[in-house]
This record gives sequence, C-alpha cells and structure tokens, in this order.
Amino acid sequence: MELRVTERTDDELSIEIAGEDHTFMNVLKGTLLEHEDVSAATYDVNPEQSGGQTEPILTIKTEDDVDPIDALEEAAGDVRDKAVSFREAFEAAA
Amino acid sequence: MSEEYDVEFVEREEREARFLVRGISPGFANGIRRAMVADVPTMAIDTVRFIENSSVMFDEQLALRLGLVPLTTPPEGEFGEDDTVTLSIDVEGPATAYSGDLVSEDDLVQPADENVPIIELKEDQRLEAEADAVLDRGKDHAKHQGGVAIGYRHLQRVEVVGDLPEFEEQESRIVRGVIEDDGELVPTSEFDHDLSNRYPGKEVEVEDVPNAFVFHVETDGSLDVEELVTRAADSIESRATELEEAVQL
Repeated sequence: MELRVTERTDDELSIEIAGEDHTFMNVLKGTLLEHEDVSAATYDVNPEQSGGQTEPILTIKTEDDVDPIDALEEAAGDVRDKAVSFREAFEAAA
Repeated sequence: MSEEYDVEFVEREEREARFLVRGISPGFANGIRRAMVADVPTMAIDTVRFIENSSVMFDEQLALRLGLVPLTTPPEGEFGEDDTVTLSIDVEGPATAYSGDLVSEDDLVQPADENVPIIELKEDQRLEAEADAVLDRGKDHAKHQGGVAIGYRHLQRVEVVGDLPEFEEQESRIVRGVIEDDGELVPTSEFDHDLSNRYPGKEVEVEDVPNAFVFHVETDGSLDVEELVTRAADSIESRATELEEAVQL
C-alpha cells in the first residue's frame, strides 16, 4: 500500500492510496464519516481502462483544528477494530 | 469505538450457509461481501504442460477447463504467493477425464469435487498433462474465486396487525430471505416465500430491520464457509493495519 499526498492544507487532505479498490475504500470512507471531527470524506476511483489516474484518491475535510492525517489514522484503526470484532462475533457463533 | 456485532446462523452446511449479522452498517457488510468474492486467495491451476493431447480440443481450451476445477486451499500460512503445487492427469480413451483423475503431489491441494468433467475421450485419444496450481485472488481471475454465490439481504420483521375481512380473497405476498417473527428467525423457504401461507387470514406488515443483514454464502469447495468469512475479515483487517502503519510514517 503506497500513499501519496496530492493536496494538503490544515483541514483538508487528498491522498492517493495505491493498490486499493472499492472493497476497502468504501469501508474506510464510511468509517471516516462516523468520526466526529470529520466534516466530509469521499473517494474517487477511475476504471482501469480509462487511462490516467486509476488509483483511488481519498479526500478528507476536518473541523476543530484536527489534522486530517490523524483522523485517517484513527479511522484505519477503527476499520481494523470492526474487522476484528466481526471475526470474533462470527467465530463465537460458528 | 468498538462495534458490537451479533452473529447467528440460520442455515449451515459446509459449503453453504445463511447467517444473520446485527449491528453491521451496509457499507461494512458490502466490504465483507466483496472481500469474500475477490480478495480471499484460493488455489487453482495456472500453468499446464501437455505431454500428450490427442483429444478433440486445443491445449488452451483444456488448460482453461483445468484451471476452473476448484482445488482445496491449504490452511493459511502453509503456502506463499509464489509456491506451486503440481498435479498430473493421465487418461486414455474411450473414457471421460474427470477432475477426480487429477493426482496431486500435496494432500492439502486436491480437487474439491471428483466429478467435474474435463473432456470426453474417444478410442485412441489420450490426455496426459502436468499442471501447476498457484494461490491467487478472485480479483485476478475468476478461477481463484472461493465464494461463488454471496450476497446479503435485510432481515425483515413481520408483524401481524389484524385480521383480513372475512370474505376477502387473500393476495399472496412474496418475500425472500429470512424473516423475524416475534424474535424467531424463519427462512422464507419454509412457507414457500409467501406470507399468505404462514399467516392465513391475517393482515401483516413487513419492514426491514435496520443494520441487520442476512448473508448467504456459498463456496466452490476450495474453502468451507467459516474459512471464507474469517479470511475475508482478515483481509480487511490486514489492509487497515497496513494503512495505519503507512500513515504513521
């Protein structure tokens, strides 16, 4: 997973997350939107045949002086926690 | 923030299962589904060396068929991305070559089904080949797809709200999936998917239960249902961990 920051201000971040697709990006975006200091989060990805930018670009906007990078890190941790607790719940039922 | 999920099996077999997950967001449910379809690696034949092929089909056509034979996938950690397992097949006509005729060098990697026909051989035709199976993901080729029929539906809550007028003909009301009736989970197949069979003469209301999804998972036999689901969750977990670490740098 290679990251490349394409745009950055104090409360806004655009970052390319190479090698990922909708499977992970949509979960990540959804989790970012649950974050209370994130005012906007979206991602854009073009189909492979389109030429040009084909890696997903995640854009995050935060409020209350929160660094978007920190929000991203926390959201990544939240996604991990979700996956772990989903697996545990599944294994408990299985 | 730790999510509390609650999982309950409705139907369960080795290759096919239906289970309810409560407390899951639609986005995360879809992530799990997509991971099951495209991101869980399975074994499949990728390279074939033909020693003799006097059948009526080209080598390439048989290679595709061999690739599509589901192979059992060894436990996690047993195999790396670049490891290969060699299987061989030697069938002489008149006979039909089946997946069960494949002989594997590794007990962990075997055809999941014995009865997949590969080609019918007539008198004096022969198929002899060696094939290498590799581990890869459904994203790269459908033959590596462990989950073949995977989806989810909202759990539907059915409530009886009253009686129908005595002389009115009851219309059939079709629902598919699993319904929740007073806390009891009932697959709709039990009443032929028609609520008028289960509640004759009653007026019922149906509503989706928020954040409760019933997954239907069917595998091609390369993994059992539990393996597939846990590995899908693991694949999302490992990507999240990777991102977390990459962001910290």
